[in-house]
Amino acid sequence: MPSGRRPVTLLVVLCLGHVLLISSQVPMRDGSTALHGAAFGSVARVEAGVAALADGVTGLWSHYVALSGASRENETLRQRILELEGELLGERARASRVDGLEDALNLQRSLVAPTRAARVIAGNPVPGVLTVTVDQGSDAGVQANMAVINGRGVVGRVIVVAAHAATIQLLADRAASAGAILEKSGTAGNVSGGFADGQFRLGLVSSAAPMAVGERVVTSGQDGIFPQGFLLGQVAQINGTGKSREIVVAPAVDFARLNVVLIVLAKPAQTGGTTR
Amino acid sequence: MKMTRVMAVVLSAVLLQVVLARYAVGGRFSFDLVLVGVVFAALQSGAVAGMIAGTIGGLAQDILSGGVVGVFGLAKTLVGYAAGAMGTQFVVAKAHARALIVAAATVLHVLMAVGLQGVIDQSWPSLSWTAMLEQVVINAAVSWAAFQVTESLPGAMSRGRSRSRSSWGRRQW
Repeated sequence: MPSGRRPVTLLVVLCLGHVLLISSQVPMRDGSTALHGAAFGSVARVEAGVAALADGVTGLWSHYVALSGASRENETLRQRILELEGELLGERARASRVDGLEDALNLQRSLVAPTRAARVIAGNPVPGVLTVTVDQGSDAGVQANMAVINGRGVVGRVIVVAAHAATIQLLADRAASAGAILEKSGTAGNVSGGFADGQFRLGLVSSAAPMAVGERVVTSGQDGIFPQGFLLGQVAQINGTGKSREIVVAPAVDFARLNVVLIVLAKPAQTGGTTR
Repeated sequence: MKMTRVMAVVLSAVLLQVVLARYAVGGRFSFDLVLVGVVFAALQSGAVAGMIAGTIGGLAQDILSGGVVGVFGLAKTLVGYAAGAMGTQFVVAKAHARALIVAAATVLHVLMAVGLQGVIDQSWPSLSWTAMLEQVVINAAVSWAAFQVTESLPGAMSRGRSRSRSSWGRRQW
């Protein structure tokens, strides 16, 4: 590097350092820094473009080249659609009965929160920090602290929002947790991530609370982020007894295969299962 | 390596890391292509270039990750400087020797980042040795491939040029 450029580079580096220092002291409303918000918004567009290119290349392979077995898969999927349509009819019938009971008992009617599908376009550049970027942002009604789910269960929550993108903190991240309840026994606790084995731990549970391996763990709705009743996972192991008991929960979601997620566009306080 | 080239290497590494990181979610793969870019720049152009590459790459990672700004900046600046100093002190011309430096730099970087995070959080974060080993192997393999390409590319290009020139000459005669 020529020596004449060195002072300029140093100046740029120092200025950048100052900007970063100032930025780190000016948190925005959602808790992130102004610099992070600005960088995230502009980089997200590049990420979306590169992700579309990468998906195009892989799509070219899977849609046109690797077509063996597609018709067989088609048949299986058609059958699955028929089964699901049957299940849907049954669920509709059950829902109308529940509505009737709610009316009869003069309760407020349950509402299903609207969701928005979003494509995962990038991961976190720091290894070990489990956040992903999706291609839907405030323009689509996404806000910080909205719950994110997929077909299997709870994925995480929105932590940073730009106009066309948002960052989602996965439940497997070391800083993530969710209010949980054991479906059968009704024992409440708190599920947290960030463990080397990739599984959750159920904490804040009474040492005498009964539970069994294989029991489903669902969201309790107590944290004000995740709506009640969404699947978190299943109890995989119970190590030790009493106060030193460790409850390992196998996540329902496969965090290694996240392509499309659903953002729940309402906070639990707005849906909560009890608002009309 | 000129400053613009150092910047290009680091920024492409950051972009590649961000895009490929979505396939690494869930702990299937752990890699740090930004670190590979920093050590690459340091070994090609010396300690100052390594230091600057580390500062830029680390700060970019810090800003995009949403964590404390400066942790990866500081760790990568120090690693970039150390790798550049090693590159000028010892003869490390072969791709596998350079890949070994990347492997050592990865271990140093992970330990420094965890240490700094621990100091900031006032609690020792859990360190997954498996993930670190995985990162060492992947980083070393990627850097070995990158060094092989940069070593063999100029030779291959000049061979191709001379071949086309000689065939053009025969056609004329």
